[in-house]
Amino acid sequence: MPIVEKSLVTVDRTEHLEIEGIDVSGDWNSFLRSRVQVDLDVRVLDWVRSQPQGDTISRCWQCGTCTAGCCLHTDYGLTDFNPRYFIYLAQVGYEEELRKYSSTIWRCVSCNKCVERCPKGVKVEEVVHTIGSYLEATGGAPESPADRFDRAYTENLLRRGILDEADLFRTYERGEGRTMPAREMLRMGLTLLRSGRLRTGPLAHRTRGWRRFGAVLRAKLEEDERRRRESAGAVARAGGGPR
Amino acid sequence: MNPILVLGAGPAGLSAAAETAALGAPTILVERESYLGGNPKRWHYSLLAPDLRPSDEVLGPLIAKVEGNPNVTLRRSTTVSRAERLERGYRVTLTTGAAQETQEVSAVVLATGFDHFDSHRKFEYGYGRYPDVLDFKELEGMIHDDKVLRPSDGKPPRRIAWILCVGSRDLQVGNPWCCRMGCAVSIKQAVEIRQKHPEIDAYVYYMDIRTYGLWEDLYWKSMQEYGVKFIRGRIGQVTLAEGGSRLLATGEDTILRRPTEVPFDMIVLASGMEPGTGTKEAAALFGVPVGPEGFLTPTLSDLNPVDSGLPGVFLAGAATGPKAIPDSVTEGMGAALRAYQYARR
Repeated sequence: MPIVEKSLVTVDRTEHLEIEGIDVSGDWNSFLRSRVQVDLDVRVLDWVRSQPQGDTISRCWQCGTCTAGCCLHTDYGLTDFNPRYFIYLAQVGYEEELRKYSSTIWRCVSCNKCVERCPKGVKVEEVVHTIGSYLEATGGAPESPADRFDRAYTENLLRRGILDEADLFRTYERGEGRTMPAREMLRMGLTLLRSGRLRTGPLAHRTRGWRRFGAVLRAKLEEDERRRRESAGAVARAGGGPR
Repeated sequence: MNPILVLGAGPAGLSAAAETAALGAPTILVERESYLGGNPKRWHYSLLAPDLRPSDEVLGPLIAKVEGNPNVTLRRSTTVSRAERLERGYRVTLTTGAAQETQEVSAVVLATGFDHFDSHRKFEYGYGRYPDVLDFKELEGMIHDDKVLRPSDGKPPRRIAWILCVGSRDLQVGNPWCCRMGCAVSIKQAVEIRQKHPEIDAYVYYMDIRTYGLWEDLYWKSMQEYGVKFIRGRIGQVTLAEGGSRLLATGEDTILRRPTEVPFDMIVLASGMEPGTGTKEAAALFGVPVGPEGFLTPTLSDLNPVDSGLPGVFLAGAATGPKAIPDSVTEGMGAALRAYQYARR
């Protein structure tokens, strides 16, 4: 039977191999990676339940009413986003599988249709965000372009308290290893600069009192981050985990 | 001996009255409606799960036992408007239209039953807005008359979906309980339709199939012999499909792990059971304790399932919770015995 799921096949490819005059080059040692789930991790559920926004997760009975109305599918075509499935993975403890969605899980736009319709009173939107927080806090999530853009955006904003679009675009694109089509950008940029619509570099907008306010905001963000890591660390240390 | 009062002439009440009469006790059977048979009669139930016997074959003999029975006084279109506890038994006021009559009774059996959940309240499903969204009690009538046609255009449907747990197991409408018969009745309807019209495709959207006990056989048969199909997921909303002639059921197939928007010609809502109007009134009238769900509460649901805890008041049927007809008939017999024992004491 042919193997349809190519991503599960690993191959040792031998380009030129001749044994006793016979050409045996080609694919060797092909085998399927195991699809068997070998462990369950209760830490995800324990942590999500311990959070004030996450405690309704244990009400979920997997009916799928939330995913049925989820606008990420219908309006944004994001077929990987399935709140019912995220909750299931977290409930049962398929941590490795869940981690595949650690970037997707943040795409929720909080329309709250799921919360409105849930027959069991699960605060789906909050629970899904809490699962995302767990994944983020426990790390190991592969960083996506969206994550990098978020970081560039936040750093840009924290500098002056107002966005410098030109700088954000420049920094982000450079970070991604892309170059901009200089001539076109220059023409558009100059027009915008002249009209005063775009202010960057020394001309950039400033926010009054940002030095003090920005410091508070920075401290708050750092504290949030520290708390999140501590909390996740505590869960990890408290045992639970794969058993 | 003063007569025994049986309130409600559904399966439980008919059964209770037939038994008290058989024991030789004078019995008054009071029914709010002008006919006997309760909800099964009111909504013209077709075949009854799980044995697929016509409802008339089940209710008919029960009704025959009380009609013309010298020990049973039938009071149709009558309600109890007052109840006063005496040293033994009760003094009740029976109201028929404008006429009132006071009667002393030795014991009371409350068999006041349930009401179907009003599907309008689950507004996402479009009941009352789209004519082809039916409540399954309406489909019962259609099957009974063998006229399964779309109310919108009178054409036969090609594909029907059943949505289970409408108004049951749902905190949004405040009904957390399971109605116990929605699965079986929906599957039975699908089987009936497939029996007569194999060209109609039948799909059941379910979360769990609760064809409990021996009823499981019906579930198996529906798949193996009648090709009824089951999709695991709860429907989130029903809208009109493009063109407006069909219905679009939006749900998640949780096994496929994807949202689905499938057009249907007809959608049937398995509306659950709620405490009946008569049950609520009887609870207030006699002071019977009610549970958080609004059903009457027996003193011990295992040891005294038909005892209300009040002297001389006994409970039977769906007044104490969602119940199938066989269970209601059995409870009617139990309550009749307990009432007779009390009245004879």
